[in-house]
Amino acid sequence: MPKPIRYLLYVAVIALLAYNSVYFKKLDEVKAGSAAFDAAAYAKDFWEKKLMPGLPKAVELGVLTTQLETEKDKAFEQHSHALGIGNIRYFLVKGQGEVTDVSENEVSVALARGGGKAGNVRIATEYVFGNAVRDASGAIDINAFTNSMDFNNVSAEINKLIREKVIPPFKSKVKKGDRVAFQGAIELNRGHLQLNSIEIIPVSLQIKKP
Amino acid sequence: MKTSIHYRIALFCIFFGIGFIGCKTKESNDEPKKIAIVVSTLNNPWFVFLAQKAEAKAKQLGYESKIFDSQNNTAQETDHFDNAIASGYDAILFNPTDADGSIVNVKNAVAAGVPVFCMDREVNANGAATSQILSDSYSGCVAIGKYFVETLNKKGKYVEILGMVGDNNTWNRSKGFHSVVDFYPGLKMVAQQSADFDRNKAMDVMESILQAHPDIDGVFCGNDAMAMGAYQALVASGKADRVKVFGFDGAEDVVKSIRDGKILATGMQFPEVMAQTAATFADEYFKGKRDFPGKMPVAVELVKKDNVENYAAYGEKE
Repeated sequence: MPKPIRYLLYVAVIALLAYNSVYFKKLDEVKAGSAAFDAAAYAKDFWEKKLMPGLPKAVELGVLTTQLETEKDKAFEQHSHALGIGNIRYFLVKGQGEVTDVSENEVSVALARGGGKAGNVRIATEYVFGNAVRDASGAIDINAFTNSMDFNNVSAEINKLIREKVIPPFKSKVKKGDRVAFQGAIELNRGHLQLNSIEIIPVSLQIKKP
Repeated sequence: MKTSIHYRIALFCIFFGIGFIGCKTKESNDEPKKIAIVVSTLNNPWFVFLAQKAEAKAKQLGYESKIFDSQNNTAQETDHFDNAIASGYDAILFNPTDADGSIVNVKNAVAAGVPVFCMDREVNANGAATSQILSDSYSGCVAIGKYFVETLNKKGKYVEILGMVGDNNTWNRSKGFHSVVDFYPGLKMVAQQSADFDRNKAMDVMESILQAHPDIDGVFCGNDAMAMGAYQALVASGKADRVKVFGFDGAEDVVKSIRDGKILATGMQFPEVMAQTAATFADEYFKGKRDFPGKMPVAVELVKKDNVENYAAYGEKE
């Protein structure tokens, strides 16, 4: 083979290897990729596409507490969700009742139609924190998140939505004696069940007209 | 004759080789699999408890196990991993020394075919370990933060004493706490310092903070050892009755102090659950299971005076 053709072949092979070995990407794109997770957008999407459509499946709180008193394990198995292992489990619940007290941090409600030991419940209007709403629906998979802080931030953003959208219109109008309907999430400890201090993190609140 | 000698040597080698392989196979079938339990430090009773529970569960499942103490030193941890791999350990139950510094050890073991199950502390590399069984420190500290705000009635000056700055748990706890407390502008953090999860260091840190800020109302500590150290400093300065101290772990002396009204609250971790889950995962791995969750959070429970009777050191009352 003539020398010029041989060299040309060498150059072509080297160029081909070099072209396939190196690629360039804007640093902005790389940075955007690492910080791609938008917890606020994820929370909004979760709220609209998973939580709200799943609300009809919420268990009536009075029914749940009665079942918890008689067949605790079955009640936890049927209605609770949690993303890890341990005693803390979450339930998506609904109910209605009469407001017995409005305080700085919560609204106390006497459940309609009895309700066993959970005759009185508290709707949180100040301390809206934790994972109750994120985890109660069972619609989120922890393994879909590569970073646990992203996962924690989803809870924070969901709670922010509640603080900004659900609570203000309710808190500004609610007063003692009102009839209210609620949907929300509760946290119960399977090992040390306390049904006399149930706190509801609200997802939906309505004041019923008399 | 020459051919005959070669023939005899070849025959001898074949028989000896077959015999050797036979012995090895017999040994592999009869001897139980071995599990190495590599723990960051055995100077802290919490980690001793974790290691002992992992060892007990491994034994119950029929495996041999040995505990290795890394003494909070990644170089020592690397030696333990090298020894475990070379000595033919079949799995490693691992409590890492450093979230970043321990990654290479995990990767080396997994590459050598030895599954690694992290307990309590994580490594910052998704998919590096076979599975990570971790306390949900963030959520536990959200609960502590909420109780902190309630008991301080949304106002006052407070101090935060952090654990080791290279450990993810330190920041998960701090971030969980601040995700609640920072909502309340009436609560002002006047100092935030690390005491490396160490009781004596926490006492020194607290003593020096008290000189600059004698009027604090609360202290949040990243673990119970530091909470006890901070409490000691407050006792020495005569402020123990006024300043509310919060810890995290569920250590024996803090559970007792909550009962006595000295410490306000702690986040109860369940090292036994983590250790047993890690050993059970190893057992399932040996039996062929491969689809383990990347991270398995273990719930942390808030322990305070009105529910402390339900708890004992490092877990629930039996």
